[in-house]
Amino acid sequence: MTFGRILPGWFFALCEYSWPGSWFKHAQWFFAIDETFHIMALGMLIGTLVIVDLRLLGFGMRRQSVSQLAGYLGRWTIFGVAMMIATGIPLFMSEAEKLSKSSPFFYKMVFLTCAITLHFTLHRKATAPGAMPGSGLGKLAACLSLFCWLGVALAGRAIAFL
Amino acid sequence: MFHLLNFVQWLNDTRISVYLRESDWPFPIIETVHILGLGFSVGTIMWLDLRLLGLAMRDAPVTDVIEQLEPWAIGGFAVMFVSGSLLILSEPLKCYNTVAFRIKVVLLILAALNVLYFHKRVMHNVEEWDRLMPWRAKLVGILSLILWLGVVIAGRWTAYF
Repeated sequence: MTFGRILPGWFFALCEYSWPGSWFKHAQWFFAIDETFHIMALGMLIGTLVIVDLRLLGFGMRRQSVSQLAGYLGRWTIFGVAMMIATGIPLFMSEAEKLSKSSPFFYKMVFLTCAITLHFTLHRKATAPGAMPGSGLGKLAACLSLFCWLGVALAGRAIAFL
Repeated sequence: MFHLLNFVQWLNDTRISVYLRESDWPFPIIETVHILGLGFSVGTIMWLDLRLLGLAMRDAPVTDVIEQLEPWAIGGFAVMFVSGSLLILSEPLKCYNTVAFRIKVVLLILAALNVLYFHKRVMHNVEEWDRLMPWRAKLVGILSLILWLGVVIAGRWTAYF
């Protein structure tokens, strides 16, 4: 499946050839610099998720409670996601037509939507103050979260190769 | 007389190097593992550093943060080191000739020295840090953040040149 089969062609052309897209596409270094920030945001995001999700599964920082860790890191997760989206949009616009035919990109967006939805629903519930430690709900939320974000990263990497 | 370039040239021509370079799947797979290792190691190291700087997880005792996150940082680093070695093996000559890669190696060595300095010279009175964080610990934190940021940037840019 690809976005090119769902959305009209003019949308991708508009993204790629109208003014910020064409600037992103042709500005020297922009793509490389933006992609570097994208990867740094990924590191930060995965760091927060791994710490909280591993804790939900009973690994890592066990001396702190789940809700404590989520309290420290929750807003950094949001910040990481926001930075990834902010740096990701120009990456998309600079090669929208290519990505409209890319199935890894499609699956990346599916995983991303699932991951973000999960974060604000089940994951939030499992990390709320007073959530039962070691509960099945928490473990499920952690596994799903790791799975979705892993999917985002793997599909993202695959865009460059497939 | 030993010349690094001769060694790199020899490595470049070994069968395993040619195999990694010329087949379709190994490189993307190894690189994906490398990036996931980055998430684990840089992701956790960064939070250690931010804790040292007093910018994150301030309520958690610093010894707790170090003891509990360090194994994951080391594990992630091991994954990066092994997958990174294979990435070098897949194109030794290209790495040798790329300025960004040379910078990356220097930054990695500096990051290792920073960790060594932290363990040998800074950490001896870690139990007292929850009252007052010594400036040396903060220095290690900020240096580590800058060095790893540089490693990621130089690593990403190795692919562009």
